[in-house]
Amino acid sequence: MRTALLALVLLAAPALAEENLTSMLSQDYLQITSNFNGSEITVFGAVENPSEHGIGNIVVVVRGPDTLMTVRRKDHIAGMWINSARAKLWLPSYYFIASNAPLGAIASSDTLSRYELGLSNLRADMVASDGDGAPYQAALVRAEQRAGLYRENPAGVETQNTAFRVHVPIPAAVPRGSYNVEVYIFRDGNVVSAQSTPFYVDQSGFERRLFEFAHDKPLYYGVATVLMGILLGWASTFFFRRK
Amino acid sequence: MEIYLPIAQMSVHWLIILSMGFVVGFLSGVFGVGGGFLLTPVLIFYGIPPGVAVATTASQIAGVTFSGVLTHWKRHSVDFKMGAVMIASGLVGSAIGVWLFAVLRRMGQAEFAISACYVVLLGTVGAIMLNESLRSFIARREGRSGYGRKPGQHHWLHGLPFKMRFRQSRLYISAIPPLVLGLIVGILSAVLGVGGAFVMVPAMIYLLRMPTNVVVGTSMLQVLFVSASSTILHAVDNFTVDVVLALVLILGGVFGVQFGVRAGAKLRGEELRLLMALLVLAVAVGLFYQLVVRPEDVYSLAAGSP
Repeated sequence: MRTALLALVLLAAPALAEENLTSMLSQDYLQITSNFNGSEITVFGAVENPSEHGIGNIVVVVRGPDTLMTVRRKDHIAGMWINSARAKLWLPSYYFIASNAPLGAIASSDTLSRYELGLSNLRADMVASDGDGAPYQAALVRAEQRAGLYRENPAGVETQNTAFRVHVPIPAAVPRGSYNVEVYIFRDGNVVSAQSTPFYVDQSGFERRLFEFAHDKPLYYGVATVLMGILLGWASTFFFRRK
Repeated sequence: MEIYLPIAQMSVHWLIILSMGFVVGFLSGVFGVGGGFLLTPVLIFYGIPPGVAVATTASQIAGVTFSGVLTHWKRHSVDFKMGAVMIASGLVGSAIGVWLFAVLRRMGQAEFAISACYVVLLGTVGAIMLNESLRSFIARREGRSGYGRKPGQHHWLHGLPFKMRFRQSRLYISAIPPLVLGLIVGILSAVLGVGGAFVMVPAMIYLLRMPTNVVVGTSMLQVLFVSASSTILHAVDNFTVDVVLALVLILGGVFGVQFGVRAGAKLRGEELRLLMALLVLAVAVGLFYQLVVRPEDVYSLAAGSP
């Protein structure tokens, strides 16, 4: 639905206005290495043929791959706090939104929710065991904000004449997969131009091979882990005997 | 410096993990227990998903225990026949435990089950140990010898069938109690990521009445095999063994154990048991507190979901 809308805008945008949008990423492939401590990707671009009012409002959204996440609610049962209800939600594993003005000042809440702009406008396919999924989604957004995986920055788009730039923070806990950067130009509350660019996050060679080994040949992986432990334990006795 | 754990898919500070391994190794060197019952809760508290914490701790235990088994083998303080009986049922127990863990995880109750089991187990064992060590403390002060094997004393366990002779332990008892004990320890190993020595050693001394000199070596032999089996089964069924985490924990652990053993040699047996009992009780109370106090957020995002 959202993708279809975006495609429609992309097709219709040149016809709607004379403004043309070009944007690029500082890198289209991010590698998680063994000392990965978070990183940053820069989105930069320019608006060609801007109208006399300047380049308008710019909103940049970065979405990670959608994943099925489980949120559980603890209830006070027999004096203890025990998980008793849960909801399963399909939501992006990473969401970053930056703009050059507060979202509320850029477009109506209808428009924002149509394009899923803003943490309160994310739409999830969900099943909640007690019916109402909204509190679970709110809790998920809270948890992801704490983890640095969901972020809203209403002053995150730096503009200069017709050029703009956004620093996208990539935290250490970033999930692997295909990401999408969407740039929207708003004028008078409407999208006049949009562009979408993908980038990929993957583990580097060694980490990736370990991950694949663990999932493709779990038996050998388990045995290898045990043997490594035993060898290390054994080697340490020689080390200490010599001392 | 941060290192990235490929299975847990998160970055951790390697010095923190290394010192966790070291401290737990040190304590296990001092007290002669595996230390898994400390390591698993500490890892979960640090933010490692419980599944990864349990499975990876099992591999750490296997690594750290191996050198201990070698040492006891050289000192002839391992009852291999008793060990074999308990390993056989322990392997079955660890398979049951890994399956049980996967079921609990799907139900969303793994974390609660782990904490609740720890509270009950550590609370009981800690209380028994505290009681025992206080009594022998008092007995020693009054000039009597502490506890010991009272020859000729009969126990209901001696009435059970399938008797076997365990030469090394100088015992002629039914195979059922060691089999049951091995099974329980196997399940505990897989569900809780513990070696199970804190259950096995007291049971071997007080229930099976094995001589204390073979108890530690024999329990280590069983722990080695059972935790190796738990690691492999967790890797196959749940994909939760993180080899990088294991590597750092083992490195810290093996050094910790060596220093711990040296420090432990300077302490007296009764004092050791008293300290150990207090430590076990402290962990139990801490975990119980976490269960009853209202959490900051009653909603939680299941780590490593789905």
